[in-house]
Amino acid sequence: MCSDSNDHVGLEMRVETPENVVLTYTLAGPAIRVMAYGMDFLVRTAVMVGIAIVLQIMSIALPGLSTGLLLAIWFVNTWAYFVICECFFNGRSIGKSIFRLRVIHHQGAPISFLASMLRNTLRAVDGIVLYGIGLLSMLCTPRLQRLGDLVAGTVVVQERHVRLPREPVIVNKIDPLPRDEIGSYVPSDGLLSVIDQFLGRRHLLTIGRGHALAWILSRSLADRLNYQGDRTQVERYPMAFLARVFVTFSNREDRSSNRDRDERPVRPARQSPRAQAEPGTRRKRSNQTTQQPSVSIEVPLDFEQ
Amino acid sequence: MNRKHFLNQRRVVWKRFEHLVQRITKVGKSRLRGAELAEFSRLFRELSNDLATIRSRAWGQQLVSYLNDLVGRGHNGFYSAPPSNISTKLMRFFTIGFPQLVRANSKFMLTAWLLFFVPLGITWATIQWQPLLAYRVVPAEQLDMMEQMYRSRDDANVIDAEDTDSDRRENDSEEQGEPSFFGFGEERSAMAGYYIEHNTGIALRAFALGILLGVGTVYVLLYNGIVIGAVAGWIISAGHGDRFLTFIVSHGSFELTAIAIAGGAGMMLGDALIHPNQRSPIQSLMSRGLDAVKIMCGAAVMLFIAALIEAYWSPSGVPATAKFAVGGMLWLLVYAYFGFAGLRVATND
Repeated sequence: MCSDSNDHVGLEMRVETPENVVLTYTLAGPAIRVMAYGMDFLVRTAVMVGIAIVLQIMSIALPGLSTGLLLAIWFVNTWAYFVICECFFNGRSIGKSIFRLRVIHHQGAPISFLASMLRNTLRAVDGIVLYGIGLLSMLCTPRLQRLGDLVAGTVVVQERHVRLPREPVIVNKIDPLPRDEIGSYVPSDGLLSVIDQFLGRRHLLTIGRGHALAWILSRSLADRLNYQGDRTQVERYPMAFLARVFVTFSNREDRSSNRDRDERPVRPARQSPRAQAEPGTRRKRSNQTTQQPSVSIEVPLDFEQ
Repeated sequence: MNRKHFLNQRRVVWKRFEHLVQRITKVGKSRLRGAELAEFSRLFRELSNDLATIRSRAWGQQLVSYLNDLVGRGHNGFYSAPPSNISTKLMRFFTIGFPQLVRANSKFMLTAWLLFFVPLGITWATIQWQPLLAYRVVPAEQLDMMEQMYRSRDDANVIDAEDTDSDRRENDSEEQGEPSFFGFGEERSAMAGYYIEHNTGIALRAFALGILLGVGTVYVLLYNGIVIGAVAGWIISAGHGDRFLTFIVSHGSFELTAIAIAGGAGMMLGDALIHPNQRSPIQSLMSRGLDAVKIMCGAAVMLFIAALIEAYWSPSGVPATAKFAVGGMLWLLVYAYFGFAGLRVATND
């Protein structure tokens, strides 16, 4: 239905910024949005009841004015609550902020007043049959938009506050693979990174399960590397083998990158926002580097502080 | 470049940026010092670069989502609209932008206007001619209530034998012009709230229902046109014509026109779906929805004004001729406004 729909199935929405970087947002599904709406509904009801009580007391002296105020506030509560919240809290109503949702423009920009007005006025239509129309529309659109979102060009996304990940704990007891036991194959950065993350989160699994998962990779890695050492170790302690592979090749990289850094320091896109992020020149890897087994990764760098 | 080395080097920068983003979301961009803003802008681009680097080297999903989140928040802060002078913008919208928009979409406005006013006129005329037909359109008890309202309300100059006691007393006190100015306003405030809630609600709903290919809007317009016409015809045929006309003439200008305009804005939504031209229906909705919602906001403001007139001016004890004069002026004003306001100013929206 949407012309520029994602190639992904799932909750990911991709937005390309003027800096040539693709940002991804996690879309909010119907369930969490219903919960946020329910929370908003509770808040609105509570506020209305509170105001009604105050006005009831006031109506002893000023019956007309308090009735008028009640009706006017009722109007604001029905039609303007979400607009006011979304404009003042940058796309979040109270319920949305409890469930960490935010309304943004589909290109990633913050929501504007008119867009908020549009999407919330159309609530009147989406809300027909207990939000049945809105739900139907969400199920039919790749970005899970109800009709109001479609017209206003907005999406509801989930906010993640991810912390900087810890370095995997790899003690320097782990020896790199001896040079003469492996062939010339060099695992890719991506593969090393997968191993890195797997090892970093290995405590989430039982040891047996961890080894079972690692076994698949370690066995094919051992084949590719043409590993001449003790194959029984690969079979019995696959995680250890993966760790050794990681240490071996990340150390190599360390050396090459040291040289790299001397030649051309990290130069972020200071000169031009459109500067391509990837010069693509640093992929060269020196296979011939001699081993420096003693240098290995220090133990945990805590990035979270 | 090693991942670990990269992290060590950039970590400080990311923390600094996180701090700046937090400050921007808390206190707003305008409060930041110049140097901080410059740093924010520079770091934003640096982080964009870092994100691209990390993603292209597949250095870990967690790291990517951390930076993605950070850059996303920075993006939000960086590209949010500059603070602008809201009062000048509003001024410009109501003196120039709104009437221009209405004229630019005049075919929708005219269609909605006809869909509302033609059935209103026809039922009005028919029922004034054959009053009993009113029972076919509006439930009997509602008609009775309406008649009761106009029989007892507001016009103190005409003595009506059937006035209820309390109203009679109030009307008397009004006639004497004594303490009732405040009391009258106080009492009418309830109606002001009601008119805001009820009428603006109808207009907003008429607009929103336009998304259903305009069918909902047409229904709301026809329905309200017919009911209002029927009630008007019936009350006049029952002999309360003077009071009814003096009551509706002033606020009717704003109220009825605004409902037609809100309906027209709803039809713009429906038309965007039916005739998307070169675009996909959704792109067409997105591009034309903005104009439509601007018009709807204008109509909502008109209905607020109408609610105030209807609550405080229309039922007041001013002589009928004055009311007709003011009411006529208001009708002229409204249509002159849409016909001529901002006519010579170039559209720059």
